[in-house]
Amino acid sequence: MGKKTAKFEFLLLLAVFTIATCGLVYELVAGTLASYLLGDSVKQFSLIIGVYLFSMGVGSYFAKFLCRNMLNTFVEIEILVGLVGGLSSVVLFLLFESVSYFQFILYFLVFVTGCLVGLEIPLLMNILKDRVVFRDLVSNVFTFDYIGALLASILFPLVLVPHLGVMRTSLFFGMINIGIAILLCFLLKKELRRVWLLKTKAIVSFFILLAVFVFSPAILEYSEGKLYGENIIYTHTTPYQRIVLTHKNSDYRLYLNNNLQFSSTDEYRYHEALVHPAMSMAKTVQNVLVLGGGDGLAVREILKYPTVKNVTLVDLDKDMTRLFQTNTILQGFNQNALTNPKVTVLNRDAYIWAREETKQYDVVIVDFPDPSNYSLGKLYSVNFYRTLKALLKPDAIVAVQTTSPYFAPKSFWCINKTMREVFSNVDAYHAYVPSFGEWGFSIASNNASTNFNQVHRKVKGLRFYNYDFARLNHFSKDMVAKETEVNRLDNQILVRYFDEEWGKL
Amino acid sequence: MKNGESFNSRRTFFKGVAAAFLLAPFVQACKEKTISLLIKWSGTNHLLGHRLRSSNFPTPNAKLTVPYLIVGGGITGLSAARQLSKRGISDFLLLELEDKSGGNSSHGENLYSKYPLGAHYLPLPNRDDAELIAFLTEAQIITGYQDGFPVFDETQCTFSPHERLFYKNSWQEGLVPKFGISKDEEIEFQRFFATMTDYKKGRGEDGKYWFDIPLRKSSQDAAIRSFDQMTMQQWLTQNGFAAKPLLEYVDYCCRDDFGLGIAFVSAWAGIHYFAARKHDSAPEGNENVLTWPEGNARLAMHLKKYAKGKTLTHHLVYRIGTRDGKAVVDVFDDLKKESIEISADKVIVATPQFVNQYMVDGRKEIASQFHYAPWLLATLTVSDLHDNYSYPLCWDNVIHGAKGLGYIYNQHQSVAQLQPKKVITYYTSFSSRDIPASRRALYLKRPDYWKRFVFGELKRAHPEIEQQTESIELYRLGHGMISPVPGFLFGEARTKAAHPLDDCVYFAHSDLSGISIFEEAFHQGIDVVNRILHDTTVDS
Repeated sequence: MGKKTAKFEFLLLLAVFTIATCGLVYELVAGTLASYLLGDSVKQFSLIIGVYLFSMGVGSYFAKFLCRNMLNTFVEIEILVGLVGGLSSVVLFLLFESVSYFQFILYFLVFVTGCLVGLEIPLLMNILKDRVVFRDLVSNVFTFDYIGALLASILFPLVLVPHLGVMRTSLFFGMINIGIAILLCFLLKKELRRVWLLKTKAIVSFFILLAVFVFSPAILEYSEGKLYGENIIYTHTTPYQRIVLTHKNSDYRLYLNNNLQFSSTDEYRYHEALVHPAMSMAKTVQNVLVLGGGDGLAVREILKYPTVKNVTLVDLDKDMTRLFQTNTILQGFNQNALTNPKVTVLNRDAYIWAREETKQYDVVIVDFPDPSNYSLGKLYSVNFYRTLKALLKPDAIVAVQTTSPYFAPKSFWCINKTMREVFSNVDAYHAYVPSFGEWGFSIASNNASTNFNQVHRKVKGLRFYNYDFARLNHFSKDMVAKETEVNRLDNQILVRYFDEEWGKL
Repeated sequence: MKNGESFNSRRTFFKGVAAAFLLAPFVQACKEKTISLLIKWSGTNHLLGHRLRSSNFPTPNAKLTVPYLIVGGGITGLSAARQLSKRGISDFLLLELEDKSGGNSSHGENLYSKYPLGAHYLPLPNRDDAELIAFLTEAQIITGYQDGFPVFDETQCTFSPHERLFYKNSWQEGLVPKFGISKDEEIEFQRFFATMTDYKKGRGEDGKYWFDIPLRKSSQDAAIRSFDQMTMQQWLTQNGFAAKPLLEYVDYCCRDDFGLGIAFVSAWAGIHYFAARKHDSAPEGNENVLTWPEGNARLAMHLKKYAKGKTLTHHLVYRIGTRDGKAVVDVFDDLKKESIEISADKVIVATPQFVNQYMVDGRKEIASQFHYAPWLLATLTVSDLHDNYSYPLCWDNVIHGAKGLGYIYNQHQSVAQLQPKKVITYYTSFSSRDIPASRRALYLKRPDYWKRFVFGELKRAHPEIEQQTESIELYRLGHGMISPVPGFLFGEARTKAAHPLDDCVYFAHSDLSGISIFEEAFHQGIDVVNRILHDTTVDS
């Protein structure tokens, strides 16, 4: 009898130990995911720990209402903890992008797990209270509980996350949890009622977790796909950015660091508007410079003019330009512009390069990413435009993509005003690009007397621009200039405007 | 460190003091996981400097005569060289102990960046500082004038974002905490700054600003000058300032500018920090500062042009005296290991007083009244600089609650998008009642101790910095800058120490101004030349 009780007690204590380990792992997983996805690790961890401990208290309280079939309930809770805790990370990963109340779900899952774990210890003590001396019982239960917690907190950062990753860690521990439940079903079959039902529940749950565990890499990929809402056909991380190419129906989209760079269905609008006004206004177009624009789409438009002798493209990211020189789909987009013999591709920092360059150009197309951080903000400063001016022939024209005048009017007109500090003749225009919305450009001439409405040359076959600059030059009231400051390296006011305006959306 | 002219000091140096140089450059490999960390242990040439104390030098075996001689190639000495040239005098010689001139405005350089070894910025000058504005114009730092205001070259003004503070586990913009302080504390900050603005505008009965730069232009008003009799802490208490964040902020500013905290520094000096810069040379009270990757070594470079071909480095002056109305200077050439005697009509001694006491007889007593805070600089090359991304990396990055003054991001003035490695320089001054003990500790403790000290400081905001650091240069400045303790600024010591000997030995140094900032040294150099030339005219 004594031996049997000892075995019984040992088994249940093993269960406590597992619950404590698994419980803490779920808590750590939730904390880690929350800090990954929401940022601010101190806040997330402390909230998660707080909610978890509190919900354990809630669980402990409700344990007193469970007085029938306690052993069965114990095993069932064990299964449930394994299922909820194990799947929590998967659920969170999948819901992050699509659900606005993500934080609610996060804390809800933490709460449920906490409650279940909280139920177990009082329940177990009730089960064992008649079989073991109370003094020993309390000590043993808590000893195993705390050892389990220690084990989890050591294993989690040192072994589990590095080797399994967050999602598989929680699934793995879910399986251990349920594994113990299965073990209990077999070893305590005489003590349990309706063992077969419990066994079935446990085994089915176990296989659910196992299946998810096996397919977790695919789930991760799917969740990233959901982020884009399209099929990802290519991803590549360069030292400078993450390039993602997606495909849906006949539309290809290129994202750089999760920002849409172009959509193949309407990029012609953007690139025609970026390139052709400047190309038609310039007196000569023999030497053309493109800054940024490593996709080669602007170069494609430039090469439509037969009088162009050479195009110099300066883009920081070697992997990006190489990709657009070698990938068949992408080469199709730029019509092999980047391998054209007239084109020289330089993988340099445009600002540094411009300071060193001595040659002068007829047309300059500036297609940098939006000024979303202080590094990029430098490329829209007075000093940058001054540096650029030194590269211009007397009659040269410069066109610059300058974000959306509709979504970010202050940013848009701030860039325009900054260019006015350097160039005496500056104008602005905009075009509607469905995938971007209303998009804007600034144009400047080195010669104060240049007439932006005068067309020196045209090419046939454009789908959007009809060489009527005045039509793009009109701004409705909701896009009209606001009082802005000039963007300088020492104030970077543009980055603040941009953050303020796009941050609102 | 802005708004604090921290280190804009330079102290000229000269023996034992100043500039950069490998002292005992020894390289220690330190295994940190798989990364081996390179530690470079350097500082001013204090070994050669300390030889002064022994006076053990070979007897001069040659003689040289020059009309004008400058001793010390820090900003004062270089500024004097410039002023001599401006006044049409080209027949002078400048002697420097280190391998190059520059003093506290020296710099180092590695594969990725230049970095300052001391002073690293200059606030925009006060509008009535014509001499400084003229210099900045000739150096093309001021590129023109618009609406009567000088236009500063955009690339030499600190790029935005300027500065951030790590406060309560989060970075925020600026050095004054805006988040995490109570309403009452905020009100006290406002009252403090309002008081400082009053002092900034205030003028004495003599029509002069109460607080001005150079310091000699400040008003004689006794009521204001009496602030020099108390510590900054006493002044704060007397004026009802008690909010902890405010006291910590003012303490930071004082340590930054004077090397000593509010408990030890003169209240007049403490207020001068906030009130002497008028921010009136650019529209809208622009409080920006001028900076360069190499710090004020850039300014030293502009000045050095005037001493080109007239500077002897590795030359240690060990005795200055007068004979028959002429100055006689004994110099040890550390490369040839021999001494020469230079005779000059006029000598400008542009070295600090703790050095002068070993060169000029009878100056020990006076030198003992000059206190110099020791400094430690650590330049780290890091593969990355992870933090919690609560505010982006700035030029000046201050960690609240740390012992040190934070760090400068040396590549901040680069227009490039990315840097393969980042180079940052951490600064700390040793603020204590017992300055000599701090100085001894700085030299006695091993590099490994200071490495751990620096990491301990930076880890508060950058937990992974130790793994991300590839090399460290620890640079020691035993006498980093003059520290204006109470009673020093308007006491007798400064006047006495500045008094010329026999009309042929003149003294000039920022420690004679009492605070260690570029402007003071710059004006010391100009003033001493003007004084000499005026005297000469009178004599003839």
